[in-house]
Amino acid sequence: MDKVLCSVATRGRYQTTLPLTLNAIINQTKKVDKLVIFDDNDEPQDMRNELVYSYFFQMLTIKGIAWEWVYAGKQGQHYIHQMANGMGFDWVWRVDDDAIPEPNVLQTLFNYTHKNVGAIGGAILTPPFPVNSNNEKPTGKIELINREPNIQWSFIEKVKEVEHLHCSFLYRAGVHDYHLGLSRVAHREETLFTYGLFKKGYKILVVPNANTWHFKNPNGGIRSESNEILYGQDETVFNNLVNYSDKTIVILTGGMGDHIVFTHVLPDIKNAEIFTCYPDIVQGKSIAEAHLLFGSIDPWNVYIKMHQWKWKGSLEDAYRKMYL
Amino acid sequence: MIIISPYSKALKNGKTNAKNYPYWKELIELIKEPIVQIGIEGEEQLVPDFRKNLSLKELESLVNECRTWISCDSFFQHFAWDKKKYGIVLWSVSDPLIFGHPENINLLKDRNNLVENQFLWWEDTEHDANKFFNPSLVLECLNANFP
Repeated sequence: MDKVLCSVATRGRYQTTLPLTLNAIINQTKKVDKLVIFDDNDEPQDMRNELVYSYFFQMLTIKGIAWEWVYAGKQGQHYIHQMANGMGFDWVWRVDDDAIPEPNVLQTLFNYTHKNVGAIGGAILTPPFPVNSNNEKPTGKIELINREPNIQWSFIEKVKEVEHLHCSFLYRAGVHDYHLGLSRVAHREETLFTYGLFKKGYKILVVPNANTWHFKNPNGGIRSESNEILYGQDETVFNNLVNYSDKTIVILTGGMGDHIVFTHVLPDIKNAEIFTCYPDIVQGKSIAEAHLLFGSIDPWNVYIKMHQWKWKGSLEDAYRKMYL
Repeated sequence: MIIISPYSKALKNGKTNAKNYPYWKELIELIKEPIVQIGIEGEEQLVPDFRKNLSLKELESLVNECRTWISCDSFFQHFAWDKKKYGIVLWSVSDPLIFGHPENINLLKDRNNLVENQFLWWEDTEHDANKFFNPSLVLECLNANFP
């Protein structure tokens, strides 16, 4: 049986919606194999001494659910989700700290974890929510993201393949990375992530009878940044990544030797769009342009990747793993 | 003619790069044929023929002329390998299984000398002459593999 990790990223909601979220997770009809709470608060607290939390922790133990409270790095929730993504589980159920899943949600989502499926989402309901008329059914296609309501914002009547999901969903772990080039607000992080799974050939599904109530809370929240500039930057990065989604974005930040090694991989990369430090070795656009288009270019740093992978193979094979 | 590429990239903190071979002078004395040193302005000249700041085209032409080459772990070992001209790489703390090419002769004294994290900057790694092959062994290897 595939193992499921539940990850909750939280900030500023110790005493509001987080306890409701945890209670809902603990009381799922399908138990998660592990619950990790990533605490991204500016002033994190030890919640073991809080009455309600201490009961939660005891309930988890009694029910045989492993759990961990991780003090996160305040870099944004995309970093948190990437940590969860790499924790060695088959699937990750990400639940926002103001989302209250009904008891059957995980079991329902899990029922669709077939081998070609990358992510499954249910309805994410914030009352009062619109009921879509037959003429206005959202498609879930990325090209319409700014022109139609999100398909998850209303009850879902039947299983449908879409191109992206939002908020809370179950996803196949370890097959696609979160885009860490976004700012701390991580605007559109889950859209980019699920669209990335879709572009890798996995099905992205929305399914009925998996309703999560979204207690949108103006206070706190993992995205509780008010910096409009950062939102704007992330929106630009999002649009550029989607615009380039039919290409393989290659950003070469290493030295001349690294570029030379990369030339042995390049012929195998389909539809490469290259940004390079040494255009006399590998032709392409400038690194400055890559920064403008995609924000931080760390996600394309092969040395960071090799470090994350605890790499023992050749540099050439690391490039192959990155780009092929 | 043999090319030598003695120096890895200079470190921002001014310390000696831990990948730089410490016995070049001794090794050069043992080699009884013309040597061309390649590198960049500011590097110590070790032989009379020191060609600095060559373009990639000039470098390629020189590589085509040489019998073989000896280099530390630097850009040059990749460049010459790419041109299918193989030579000797003198390793110390970086891992030839990651950054080297099996077509070259990779002289690593002891894998225990490799730094644990191969993917950080080299500024924090101390230079240690004991981590390199001694010159007579390099010469033996040169004669055996590139007679």
